[in-house]
Amino acid sequence: MIRADIRTTVGGFDLAVDLAVDREITVLYGHSGAGKTLTLEAIAGLLTPREGRITLHDRLVFDSAAGVDVPPQRRDLGYLVQSYALFPHLTVAQNIAYGLSHVRRAERRERVERFARMFGVDDLLRRRPARISGGQAQRVALARALVREPRVLLLDEPFAAVDSSNRRTMRRELRQLAQRLDLSVVMVTHDLTEAYNVGDQLAVIDRGRVLQAGPRDEVFHRPASARAAELLGVQNILPGRVVGADGGRVHVATGLGMVEAQAESRPATDHVQLAVRAEQIILERPDRPSTHRENRFQVTIIDEAAFGFSHTLVVRADDAASGAPTLEIDVPAHPYQVLNVPAHRDWRIHIPPEAVHVIGE
Amino acid sequence: MRRAQTFTWGGLVVGLSAAILVAFIGIPVGALIARGFIEGDVLEALRSPVATTALWLSLATSAIAVAVAVALGTPAAYLLARRSFPGRSIVDTLIDLPVVLPPVVGGLALLVALGRNGVIGGPFDAAGVDVAFTTGAVVLAQLFVAVPFYIRAARAGFESVDRRLEAVSATLGAGGWRTFRRVTVPLALPSLIGGAVMCWARALGEFGATIMFAGNVFGRTQTMPLAILEAIETDVDAALAIAIVLIVLAFAGLLVFKGLARLGGRVL
Repeated sequence: MIRADIRTTVGGFDLAVDLAVDREITVLYGHSGAGKTLTLEAIAGLLTPREGRITLHDRLVFDSAAGVDVPPQRRDLGYLVQSYALFPHLTVAQNIAYGLSHVRRAERRERVERFARMFGVDDLLRRRPARISGGQAQRVALARALVREPRVLLLDEPFAAVDSSNRRTMRRELRQLAQRLDLSVVMVTHDLTEAYNVGDQLAVIDRGRVLQAGPRDEVFHRPASARAAELLGVQNILPGRVVGADGGRVHVATGLGMVEAQAESRPATDHVQLAVRAEQIILERPDRPSTHRENRFQVTIIDEAAFGFSHTLVVRADDAASGAPTLEIDVPAHPYQVLNVPAHRDWRIHIPPEAVHVIGE
Repeated sequence: MRRAQTFTWGGLVVGLSAAILVAFIGIPVGALIARGFIEGDVLEALRSPVATTALWLSLATSAIAVAVAVALGTPAAYLLARRSFPGRSIVDTLIDLPVVLPPVVGGLALLVALGRNGVIGGPFDAAGVDVAFTTGAVVLAQLFVAVPFYIRAARAGFESVDRRLEAVSATLGAGGWRTFRRVTVPLALPSLIGGAVMCWARALGEFGATIMFAGNVFGRTQTMPLAILEAIETDVDAALAIAIVLIVLAFAGLLVFKGLARLGGRVL
């Protein structure tokens, strides 16, 4: 368990972060400049916060009130900085061995070879960092950090310098590695797909604050605020007013019309925002009308963009009041072809109530 | 693909001014060397007591000056490159001052401070230790004018070391001293050596501060540049020979410096 509750100001930027991380992979997700790297640096001891407390597996490493500030070299953690920062004047073997100066020579060699093999860089041991690829550099940097067998691993954009074709394999390997070495991993990324694929826990960071943190699926599907929803890639955020609630449903009047949302209870406030992911809106087949009665809208396609495997349609509801919000709908390539979407402008859509998340701010 | 060289007036002007400059520096140096070899016997002249004594004194004093410059200048350069502290820009400017100051002014300042009645020289004198007009004064004069060359280069070298490497070193268990030894110094080494070479070349050629603060005493404070001044009236061949040695050493120093700069750019 890693706990960091810190406040500091760096060059006019205010950071006030409260994080609790379990023995799993936690992803700090947010735009660049949100304070993710600063948070990692504070945990690593490279940045001294103005006030707060940091514990790593019940070990107090920072406490401004008690005057505790364990220097980075004694925090016993692995830190993979962005673009890896291998020592350019040392060979791969010397890089991996760098943190083992306290270990006897024979054991050092054994451990370097074992970790080099584990990360598939054992044939590069005599090379200089300038002569290896980005993916290899990442593996060497991981071996260098983990050969000291820390319990905590901090990763700053670990896949940024890796070809996209290799990223999926590496994400899977990272998950296996964390399990095998019993590591608590804190990883920073600004890539939403990566955050989703790697994280068990997700913390959304924005302007130096943690907007929301929790299990990945909960955060992903139940953003706590409109800003969090926006950062988490929810394309459709509709303001609305609650007009009723019954049987696990909340009825909300929006610019689109009446929308039903699945919710356990009526939100505390009547002024809400509805978050709907573009891929969860269903385009109805004209020859097979939906049997649902709620959340069906007649729409017109007003714009379209293709992204390789899917198409994003921008639509406007026909019955809606003027100035009504537009919706984005993701349609996978196959239904797009079967339905022959480009041939028609007018469609009916269905928004499943369980796909509508009510944000009661 | 190389562009064909065609004639333009602009090109002619540029080429001509460059040629004039090269001739301006090259001809006097070449003439001096030629005269030394044609009209006199350089190797023979170098065996004269004036030349040999000055040569050894110069080598010894400049070597000590460089050693002190490296010992004291390295921490100062690191401090300037890595830390901010009150009065940093003043310290920085002060260290650069000897570069633009006429050396004779530096020598005078040393004399005022370290002479018999000086702030520092007074107590030394009371203890029976002479500083001015000794071989030690030669070293101090050289140090005064030459140390900025080392500090500037070392500082640039330290600044060029990626701070993330030092941060990573810390997370890998290395304390400050170990990080400095195993990461910072190796990566800044080309600059450190280059700076030491330039510092040495400057110390070797030191004249103004030395003659002011140490005098021109044969065998004790008469380094090569000072020996030239004396020999030009008594033994022109020796003066020429010493000058040629200085030219060769300065040229070699510059070659080493430039080679290291290129090496530093390539390896790292």
